[in-house]
Amino acid sequence: MTIADQFQPGTFVDAIRFIVDNIGFLLHLAGEQLELSFAAIGIALVIALPLGLWLGHRHRGLFFAASVSNVGRALPSLVLIAFGLIIFGLGFWNNTAALVVLAVPPILTNAYFAVDGVDPDVVEAARGMGLSERQVLTQVELPLGMPLVVGGIRIATIFVIATATIASIAGGGGLGDVIVNQATYGLAGVVGAALCVSLLAFLAAFLLRLLHRAVSPRPVRGA
Amino acid sequence: MIAASPPVIPNFGQGSPCEVNNGTFCWDWVRQHWHDTLWPALVQHVELALLAVAIGFAIAFLLALAGLRVRVLDAPIGYWADFLYTIPSLALFQLLVPFTGITVLTVEIALVSYTLLVLYRNMIDGLRAVPAEVVESARGSGFTRTQTFLRVELPLATPTIMAGVRIATVSTISIATVAATILPQGLGYPIFIALREDVFKTEIFAAGALAVALALTADGLLHLLERALTPWTRRARHA
Amino acid sequence: MFRKHTRRAARAAYAVSLGVALLIGLIAAAASTAATAKPTATPTIVIGTKNFTEEYVLGQLYKQALEGAGFKVSYKENIGSSELIDTAITSGKINFYPEYTGVIVLDLAKETSPKTAAATYAAAKKFEETRGLTLLNATPFYDSDSFGMLTSTAKKLGVKTIGDMKKVKSFTFAGYPECDKRITCLLGLKQIYGLTQVKFVQLASISVYTLLDEGKITAGDVFSTDPQLAGTKYTVLTDTKHIFGFQNVAPVVNQKTLAAAGPKFAQVVNAVSAKLTIPAMIAMNKAVAIDKASPAAVAAGFLKANNLK
Repeated sequence: MTIADQFQPGTFVDAIRFIVDNIGFLLHLAGEQLELSFAAIGIALVIALPLGLWLGHRHRGLFFAASVSNVGRALPSLVLIAFGLIIFGLGFWNNTAALVVLAVPPILTNAYFAVDGVDPDVVEAARGMGLSERQVLTQVELPLGMPLVVGGIRIATIFVIATATIASIAGGGGLGDVIVNQATYGLAGVVGAALCVSLLAFLAAFLLRLLHRAVSPRPVRGA
Repeated sequence: MIAASPPVIPNFGQGSPCEVNNGTFCWDWVRQHWHDTLWPALVQHVELALLAVAIGFAIAFLLALAGLRVRVLDAPIGYWADFLYTIPSLALFQLLVPFTGITVLTVEIALVSYTLLVLYRNMIDGLRAVPAEVVESARGSGFTRTQTFLRVELPLATPTIMAGVRIATVSTISIATVAATILPQGLGYPIFIALREDVFKTEIFAAGALAVALALTADGLLHLLERALTPWTRRARHA
Repeated sequence: MFRKHTRRAARAAYAVSLGVALLIGLIAAAASTAATAKPTATPTIVIGTKNFTEEYVLGQLYKQALEGAGFKVSYKENIGSSELIDTAITSGKINFYPEYTGVIVLDLAKETSPKTAAATYAAAKKFEETRGLTLLNATPFYDSDSFGMLTSTAKKLGVKTIGDMKKVKSFTFAGYPECDKRITCLLGLKQIYGLTQVKFVQLASISVYTLLDEGKITAGDVFSTDPQLAGTKYTVLTDTKHIFGFQNVAPVVNQKTLAAAGPKFAQVVNAVSAKLTIPAMIAMNKAVAIDKASPAAVAAGFLKANNLK
């Protein structure tokens, strides 16, 4: 809960100074946030990727995949964090579980549509060549569907890193600890940490975009 | 300190055993506090979200027109919208406070910013996807540029645009819960207060469920609206 | 090409939604400029509160009493800790909020603790008056920080006063973020009691009682009118050195607002303050925190029962 002074350009200068003065502390918090985020994404990948790929391969569960996507979007991150706290109490699992729930829908849905949308002729040709179902999925459908799959992982990662900021109110640590804490760090600290977390999000988005482009065939690379 | 007669302390009543022991869900609390806590928060939330999507729609529409006419603007506008979208909501709210204070305006600026990416992208993509031959044949039939736009391009782009409106609405409802970190309004506020008060489960579940229900309802209504606006696609579906 | 009515419907839909959007935008712009328009003869009392139950109750009490007396009130709940809300009132964003006299003297003015409650009030008032603010009458009740822990922990460690904690090798103490900068909180424990072995745990959005219950901390910063302290589950160690100061509540108000509002304003506020005794506050805090009533309803009930509304 914060209060604004009259806006002074000095506020942002002070924020930069705060960042410089506390760089070690902020890096430590950023590390905490990334740790939480990667743990959640890792678990979400294990749950959602195989399931989405397999369902897409079998062309089954369209309704399920679409519903997961719709419902997943409708779950406000703050609500998930609060529910996580109630169910798991304060600790490691409450925020991790909430972030996993957030990350699963994009990964699952995109994996499904990636594989489901592969040209059926290509799949038939592969089967004709004698590839097993497993091989069709891993050697034909997955490579062709890679852009969409990575796209889903990209969306999930951005969501998770952004929500991990909010997780600080439930003991999740990270840069959010400073952002919600103007009493201790002052307006300069809050703005500084907000700038840092934005930078963190941009870096992640940038790296993932590179990854996305790397797996996308040249002509298809759009936005 | 003036000496005064001791105050009359009214009997405020007892909380039910469920409330006092922080049971998982106390219906009596919900019944009692619907009017003073949950309903006002719901109304505020709807107002915040509706305003944001409406303004975002208007701005994205104008930006899309610009991006269509002046192609070179498309990429910068897209990047700008993506840039806004990447800033975590908690951070954006706090970054705006030094400029616009703790007001609905601050919250709205942030919420509108988050809608721009999806709405702009979908409007541009939808309008660009209209086949050139269709536009040409319309012009050939004597439609002016404006008429072509209003009577041919927009209706054809409607499904894509509506998909964008759906996504923007649902995510706005979601992000608006975080606005409670700076402004005591919307369904996020009861959740914050309840977290502070010994993690009062009922209030968190009630406000959280309302937020989810609101998002799903909005999504459903917009889906119906999309179908109403594009009856020709329905015919194609049943063909 | 397309049936006439679908074209028209789509066109109408777009026109309507665009029009609605622009209209809403205009109304919003107009509303926000109207809000910052020139004040009328009787000033609007902009009440702010800090971010915990007792402040919500106090805020509602003063708000409803003033509204009942015909004043225009704008209510800004949950602004934040003393340091934050102090910035709000000195920068003119609010012009009234309930504050604790000891906090003003010790944490805002950074002076040493006076020896009595009356002296604390006088020092607080003197300080605020150098800044264009002043205090109205203080309440009979006081609510100071206290050193709280589970009764079972206190028995296990064998401690009765805060000074006894010296024999504990290391322990965690949870408090609100501003606690570690305040002489009425962590700094006092470290400097005045010499408890250098204390490890500070910052409270985020979780209450100190939840942390105590879950065994995550040894002790925490609790408040003397917390309803949780009424039972036997938690105990408070004695503050023999009075580091927590005297903490009656007095409304801080902008001097200009006070002058412009007329004598009735101070009368209404002081009448409410006079009725706020410790039993009254504990009862109201309990109703909100334990029995989950709303601060507004509780304040309304109290004001009505005491003919203050």
